Amino acid sequence: MSAAGEPLRRIAIVGGGQVAILTAIGLKRAVPGCEVVVLVTQGDPRDFADHAASALPFSNRLHHRLGITEDVLIGQAGGSHRLILRYIGWGGAGQHGAMAYGSASGVPQQARFAAQWGGGSRSAGAARAPGSLAEVLANAGRFAVHQGEGTGPVDKLDYAMRWDPAAYRALLSAEAQRIGVRLVSGGIARVEMGAGGVAAISSTQGERMTADLYVDCSGIARSVIGAHPEAEWREGTERTLYYAPLGQGMLALEDRLSLLPEGWLLELASRSGLQTILGARADIHEEAAARALQTQPAAKVALHEDAVREPWIGNVIAIGDAAACMEPLAFLPIDLAHRMLDLLLELLPGRIIDPRERSEFNRRARLMLDGVHESLALHRAAPFARQVFAGDDPPDAVLSAIDQYTRRGRLPFREEYAFEAEERIGLYEALGFTRGIPPQERSGDARHVAALQAEFERSAKAALAQLPPYGQWMMQRLGARQA
Amino acid sequence: MQREGKPKTRVVVLGGGTAGWMTAAGLAKLLPDLAEVTLVESEDIGIVGVGEATLPHIRGFVERLGIDEATFMRATHATYKLGIDFRDFGSIGTSYIHPFGSFGEEVAGVGFHHWWLELERQGMAAPLGDYSFAVAAAKANRFAPPAEGTSLASTYGYAYQFDATLFGPFMREFGLANGVTRHEGRVTSVERDGDSGDVRALVMEDGRRIEGDLFVDCSGFRSLLLGETLGEEWEDWTHWLPCDRAAAMPCTHETEDIRPYTTATAMPAGWRWQIPLQHRMGNGYVFSSAHLSEDEACEAIRVAAEGEPLADPRVLRFRPGRRKHSWSHNVIGVGLASGFLEPLESTSIYLAQMAITYLIELFPEGGAIDGRDRDEFNRLVDIEYDRVRDFLILHYHVTTRDDSEFWNHVRTMAVPDSLAAKMDLWRKAGRIEKYADGLFYDASWIAVYVGQGLLPDKHDTRTAFADPHRVAAALERLRQEIDGEVARMPVHVAYLKREAARLAAQPA
Repeated sequence: MSAAGEPLRRIAIVGGGQVAILTAIGLKRAVPGCEVVVLVTQGDPRDFADHAASALPFSNRLHHRLGITEDVLIGQAGGSHRLILRYIGWGGAGQHGAMAYGSASGVPQQARFAAQWGGGSRSAGAARAPGSLAEVLANAGRFAVHQGEGTGPVDKLDYAMRWDPAAYRALLSAEAQRIGVRLVSGGIARVEMGAGGVAAISSTQGERMTADLYVDCSGIARSVIGAHPEAEWREGTERTLYYAPLGQGMLALEDRLSLLPEGWLLELASRSGLQTILGARADIHEEAAARALQTQPAAKVALHEDAVREPWIGNVIAIGDAAACMEPLAFLPIDLAHRMLDLLLELLPGRIIDPRERSEFNRRARLMLDGVHESLALHRAAPFARQVFAGDDPPDAVLSAIDQYTRRGRLPFREEYAFEAEERIGLYEALGFTRGIPPQERSGDARHVAALQAEFERSAKAALAQLPPYGQWMMQRLGARQA
Repeated sequence: MQREGKPKTRVVVLGGGTAGWMTAAGLAKLLPDLAEVTLVESEDIGIVGVGEATLPHIRGFVERLGIDEATFMRATHATYKLGIDFRDFGSIGTSYIHPFGSFGEEVAGVGFHHWWLELERQGMAAPLGDYSFAVAAAKANRFAPPAEGTSLASTYGYAYQFDATLFGPFMREFGLANGVTRHEGRVTSVERDGDSGDVRALVMEDGRRIEGDLFVDCSGFRSLLLGETLGEEWEDWTHWLPCDRAAAMPCTHETEDIRPYTTATAMPAGWRWQIPLQHRMGNGYVFSSAHLSEDEACEAIRVAAEGEPLADPRVLRFRPGRRKHSWSHNVIGVGLASGFLEPLESTSIYLAQMAITYLIELFPEGGAIDGRDRDEFNRLVDIEYDRVRDFLILHYHVTTRDDSEFWNHVRTMAVPDSLAAKMDLWRKAGRIEKYADGLFYDASWIAVYVGQGLLPDKHDTRTAFADPHRVAAALERLRQEIDGEVARMPVHVAYLKREAARLAAQPA
């Protein structure tokens, strides 16, 4: 007869960033009777998940489940909405495209239609019509989150949230303590290993702690998993990040990711300030970086990508930057951290950790990691990126995926992938890859394409008429909160 | 619309059975500008007519070809199928339905089956199937198409049970109407290119030479092109799936009711099917020839069949396994020529359909095959076969039966590592290895594990925090809601008659 496993009694989480605190909230909510302690450690500027100021739509659902509502994000953490990430120049000079979110992003339903009319990459000068409803709205600056159930085209749009990292962390911290998570400051002094893995950890304040499960969210310090003799690491690429001083705060529905000869340039339009980051090739000089950034950098960080092969070893699980350090492209580091946390909540162990549960977690986490690495590699394999990041040669699996996409319009199936099929198509197009027309779509008739185009125009027009200017709607929403 | 003046790829399909005509019809209809399809068949060669029961995917195939469901059902004397009723598998006297649908829903991030296991432990749970809409409808002999959206009545799917000897001809008619050229006669030799080894042409008994760029081998177990000509290696799976024969015998319906599900009853040396069609009941005994003679099997099916026999039992022979590569040179195997997995979960037509789908996606333009597409095709076909194989083995291996040599063998045999790992995860932690590609997801695995009596040692710890009486009350509400909605569905026969009447009223 099957019995519920004995629940976890004490969980020790190591780390001081948003990933550690959100993990604590998730675990405390899952096992309310369990003592959840966060040993707060100092972070590193290379902890990109911990410093994330925006994520992907998956995080909206995770936040919602963990009781972090959108209202609170907007009201207390400078939250705002992104409908598209605009890619500029990845396919070559003048090329641009927009990646939208959700299964109704508009580009995909008929690739033929998309290729002829919308989503395909265009060279300079050629007019490029918006490839998705999200892009139409972003261009017009109109959007409002629809409350309640609906079936119109607007209801199918998905979006990502931005937030102010410091305010967001403070908000999480307050929420964690409210539900009974204990935060212990002072950092970690010692990790004691025993027969079953980690036996205890001690804080610099002299507190010695034992737990059933240790979750390492300490960023690239890897305070716990790094001490584990069985942890194996694989290496990735090198990059130097230059941060411009924080700019004006703004309300915008899009962020921008450009590719310059020096590297990529992210412009994140946060309410608390425009954040501009240059991800430069490791050999770029500081003056060149400053020119690309169009200002003197306020900060500079060199990173060397790596990832642990098995994020769950014995009684230690690494989540976030502790599991994988990667360049912060397309919000993938924080998305990966959130999806790994979600996986841990799905496969939540009992006091006695079953090795099979652990290996199922590792199997799926590895698929997630592989998927993220593939998405990063896809960026570096974009037509112009091949020149900019020469030397970062794409792995065979990525080349094969690009080949299938450009020749046949196919997306080889991936398990545990960050993006849905429609979003993947949007990403390929934004990066300057032109989708091949699948054999089965070669014989479509022109009337069908025209009908789809008319339908798209109708829904775009209807959406524009239905939705208020985004700024106006946000002000109302903020006003309503204060009232 | 002709593309850039590239000539069409000349496709020659060898074999006029179900797989052959599905392939020819699919290519002709969906790739009219890329493919020129010829099919070679011989009236002298009988067709196996595999699979009278199907999986929900077949609906996509029929729809994609633009065929009206009711027309298709009338032509093939089809009935609706909500799942399979497995009897005597885990132990004699037990039964469960593997539905095309789910059981309950996740609560607080914890899968339904964990809650059910906790209540079961406390003696407060009804059978798992009571929480599945598809199972409840099947048991009540009722059918209506699933609802749209997220309501309870949207939590299932359906397939068809049809006369396979009529399905092939239906696809033939459709294929011919869509431009397939048909050649009648026997192939006496196969011409190959001296350098590449590719197949160039089929030479017929009367001297005709049928050239092609791409050959689809649908010649059944003979596998004339892939096996005999190219010598593509066969991977034998008899040690895991020992059944290699079927004795089939149709009979009359015993009752007015027509079940909206297939029945699979375990037998001393295999299992037997009952597939209700509109006009008759399909019966067959799938058995292991190492454990039972053909005569014994024929006798056994005569005794077991419930209605009046409509023919003498006919024995079909097969080999479980697959070709190491389904696409080799310019030859692609579809159906039995590429592999066979016994019909326990009605996967034959599905496997053919998936091969056709992948072939369409990877179809070579202008007759030129790209090695990358061939590799991708083989990779995809491998995933399908491996996943189905493991799931089939599970039905035999999870048993306490020790009443025959056959069951002693399958109960104690070593299973593939991939399956052993999945079963271990279930046994120790009550969890299902998750994947989204291929066939048979969580609900299917749970149905078989629980249905065949393999409960795990542990389930999710979070189920212990909730008040069991509240959980029991919630499950009871779900059960009653399902029962209430099922009671409002039409009985299966009435729904079939209504559809037939609707079709008859349509202008031809």
